[in-house]
Amino acid sequence: MLLAKTLTSSTFKLALIAIGTFGVIVSGIFAYVYLSTTSYVRSRSDRAILAESLNLHDAYERNGRDGLIDAIRRRMTYRSFADHVYLFVDPSLKQLAGNLTEWPSEPTPASGWTEFRGRTAVSTTASPPLVRGMVEIFPGGDRLLVGRDISDLDLFTGRIKFAVISSVILIFLLAGMASILVTRRTVGRIEQINATSRAIMQSGLDQRIPLRGSHDEWDRVAENLNLMLDRIETLMGEIKQVSDNVAHDLRTPLTRMRGRLETAYHGKRVGEADQLLIGDTIADLDAVLRIFSSLTRIAQIEAQARKDAFRTVNVVEIAGEVVELYDAAAEQDGTRLTMVGDREVQVTGDRDLIFDAIANLVDNAIKHGRNAGHVVVSIETTGSGAMISVADDGPGIPACECEHVFKRFYRLEQSRYTPGNGLGLSLVAAVARLHGARIEMRDNAPGLKVELWFSPAAG
Amino acid sequence: MTGGHRRILVVEDDPETAGQLAEQLVSSGYQVDLAASGNEALSKGAACDYAVITIDRMLPDIDGITVMRQLRDDGVAAPFLILSALGEVDDRVRGLRAGGDDYLVKPFSFVELLARLEALGRRSDTIAKETILRVGDLAIDLITRTASRGSKDIVLLPKEFQLLEYLARNAGRVVSRAMLLQHVWDLHFDPSTNIIDVYVGRVRRKVDDQQAYPLIHTVRGIGYCLRAPG
Repeated sequence: MLLAKTLTSSTFKLALIAIGTFGVIVSGIFAYVYLSTTSYVRSRSDRAILAESLNLHDAYERNGRDGLIDAIRRRMTYRSFADHVYLFVDPSLKQLAGNLTEWPSEPTPASGWTEFRGRTAVSTTASPPLVRGMVEIFPGGDRLLVGRDISDLDLFTGRIKFAVISSVILIFLLAGMASILVTRRTVGRIEQINATSRAIMQSGLDQRIPLRGSHDEWDRVAENLNLMLDRIETLMGEIKQVSDNVAHDLRTPLTRMRGRLETAYHGKRVGEADQLLIGDTIADLDAVLRIFSSLTRIAQIEAQARKDAFRTVNVVEIAGEVVELYDAAAEQDGTRLTMVGDREVQVTGDRDLIFDAIANLVDNAIKHGRNAGHVVVSIETTGSGAMISVADDGPGIPACECEHVFKRFYRLEQSRYTPGNGLGLSLVAAVARLHGARIEMRDNAPGLKVELWFSPAAG
Repeated sequence: MTGGHRRILVVEDDPETAGQLAEQLVSSGYQVDLAASGNEALSKGAACDYAVITIDRMLPDIDGITVMRQLRDDGVAAPFLILSALGEVDDRVRGLRAGGDDYLVKPFSFVELLARLEALGRRSDTIAKETILRVGDLAIDLITRTASRGSKDIVLLPKEFQLLEYLARNAGRVVSRAMLLQHVWDLHFDPSTNIIDVYVGRVRRKVDDQQAYPLIHTVRGIGYCLRAPG
């Protein structure tokens, strides 16, 4: 199963291509080494034979037949000439001098190079040694063969040939095995990821790809996939939570409206009561529509469809308008609403959305802060960008709730009965995400401080 | 607005919505023509001088925006009020840029529609050149940006002044909360709290406290109206 997958995997195919290319190159190099080594060895031996042949030819020229015979006999007494082969015959091929027992039967060229197996007087091995020699025919019909026993030479080139061929085969075998092992490992990890994916599709998002702890690229891939799965799982959970909440928050007014209309439908028409009922129903419908448009607004911001409306805006001006708009509401609540910080802070963004985000934060601070408290909107430029913060001195929120408050429809237990639909901070979070801004919630001791960190405006 | 110039063209492809609109507009004293398609709107819109043309963004044959452009090219000066189910700000901006004068997202309340029609109709027949707006004993000086009632000066913040100015420009007519947000704060969304009411409440205290009669009136379920008694 795994082997079949290994052999058909693309990694293995790539490995085969690599082995093939590498193999051809290695074979070529080895063939060159082999050929040049053998030809060098052979040409050295041939030069020695040629030189010896010329020496003897000189002896013949100078001292005639007897001089040559004498020269050959003298040479055969020297140890250093042990691997030399000489044969001097008359025209009837009768031996006149030399250590070769008989004139080689074949091949017997008239003159020039020849190779044959022949028995010499000095040979000790059972099989006749391989001889390479040069034949010269003198004008009288006498023939001289000068050569060398090249059995050793033959053995040497044979060994090189064997070494070269076997190492090429060994290289191919090892490379093949290595690529199977490597591919198997790769395929094994991929199969693990595939198996997890299949398990997730079949049973649910709780499965994770096991890590090997090797901190290699496979572990990193698995880690990232696992993080992605975590994110998907969180998002799925949020969607479920949101749809539950949507169902709850929309069903409540819809049920009220339905009940009211049903009662009226079956009851008698009473002018004043009917009007009251219709008025209440319209108010409930408006609440439903408001939730609906808040949701689509958040969804649209999250879809990042509005970046083309981004301009360089002065957040101090925007925050100033928010503060002015909410000043009356704060006054009614007995809350002091003040603004501090720089006079001009530029960020790149959408004026309406930034207004909306600050307005939501200020609205929350007034609503959930202390009665007759103090809400401070502060805007400043720091080294790392622009910071907008809204702080109140109310009860704050428990640390464990910090990450939940940005969820859609999320409402703290303590504020369950204050007006609002639990979408404000989701909108702030969506606006922040769209602008690449970071949200931080701090303990204002007492109270809550929400900070929005924008990166500096470009240009 | 003169009695003879209360004719409205309603371009709406859904017959029930068109019927409801026509019925309510007629009962509010308008004369109403209906067009159910873009082509019908083009022929009717060019044939008669309307006070306002309300137009749906999505029509069966031609896009509402194309109809508006075409009518404008034909020399039709009537203001357009776009009525659309495409509710997002981008769509609004696109619609306004294409020649729409105002934008209302479906579903809307009829009083809101009426308030906007009134404001648009007035814009088309008078161009205000006054430097001082007067409603009862309230005087708003648009040059010095100050307001007073009788001999008593009213101290207003800049946005409060803008709000009062907008109310005064529409004196006698209902102004919705959304219209205030749009014209005073340039906001194209609903902050979904009673923030406007609280704000108007403060302006009202400055304008109406310890006076002979109130000028700013709340219109239940829709918004406000600045009007002198009698």
